[in-house]
Amino acid sequence: MLQIWVPRKPYYVHVYQEIWGGMGLMGFIVYKVKSAGTRSNALKVLSPESAHGHH
Amino acid sequence: MNENLFTPFTIPMMLGIPITTLIIMFPTMLFPTPNQLINNRMITIQQWLTKLTSKQLMNTHNPKGQTWSLMFISLFLFITFTNLLGMLPHSFTPTAQLSMNLGMAIPLWAGTVVMGFRNKTKISLAHLLPLGTPTFLIPMLVMIETISLFIQPLALAVRLTANITAGHLLLHLIGSATLALVNISLFTALITFTILTLLTILEFAVALIQAYVFTLLVSLYLQDNT
Repeated sequence: MLQIWVPRKPYYVHVYQEIWGGMGLMGFIVYKVKSAGTRSNALKVLSPESAHGHH
Repeated sequence: MNENLFTPFTIPMMLGIPITTLIIMFPTMLFPTPNQLINNRMITIQQWLTKLTSKQLMNTHNPKGQTWSLMFISLFLFITFTNLLGMLPHSFTPTAQLSMNLGMAIPLWAGTVVMGFRNKTKISLAHLLPLGTPTFLIPMLVMIETISLFIQPLALAVRLTANITAGHLLLHLIGSATLALVNISLFTALITFTILTLLTILEFAVALIQAYVFTLLVSLYLQDNT
């Protein structure tokens, strides 16, 4: 395991710094999208009659 | 018909457990690690192809840009082989899912933008305004260029997703249409010929990878080389 990671250490530490930041941005977007989906599902469960009853 | 059209794109499950991770990791099994100086034929061919591709790809970069060559080559090989493996019947293509392509596009694009702003702030900001614009157009043009910059990861991801998905879907549709028209033999020959041509055109999914990596490359190139 160590002999796989040691040659790649300069990449992970120096070269890909910006990519780690980009991955953080992507994780933030994923979190936002998932939380919005969960929130809309929860709202649908809580008030289905208010969602579908006003036709 | 509904069930047949969507089933190639559903997450494959084995005993109720999604095996997407295993499928994504499968192309790595096709690339053995070179252990010796002179390897067997398959590894030698792969090494030769990798060297050819990497030289072609990283030729135009300065040394700072060339530190990303490992990333580009692995990206290129991954997308190529995932798309090619998806051409096998009844197989699952991970790159047909928008989530996966966004997951590839956003970190890499953000990496290039951040790299540009960190190392060459003035030049990166200057990219937002093309040369020789009239003075009164400058505010609008800066807005347009900013929007086009932020559209880049979306365009990268959606381009790959749409091409792969549309190709697979078309093959499915035309194949099932051929099956349905077998009894009427007049059109069968024409439709099977269409399937054949579509298949060869879809083999140029490999060309899509070129598009993907090249656009990414262009962005990094611009950031690093002014």
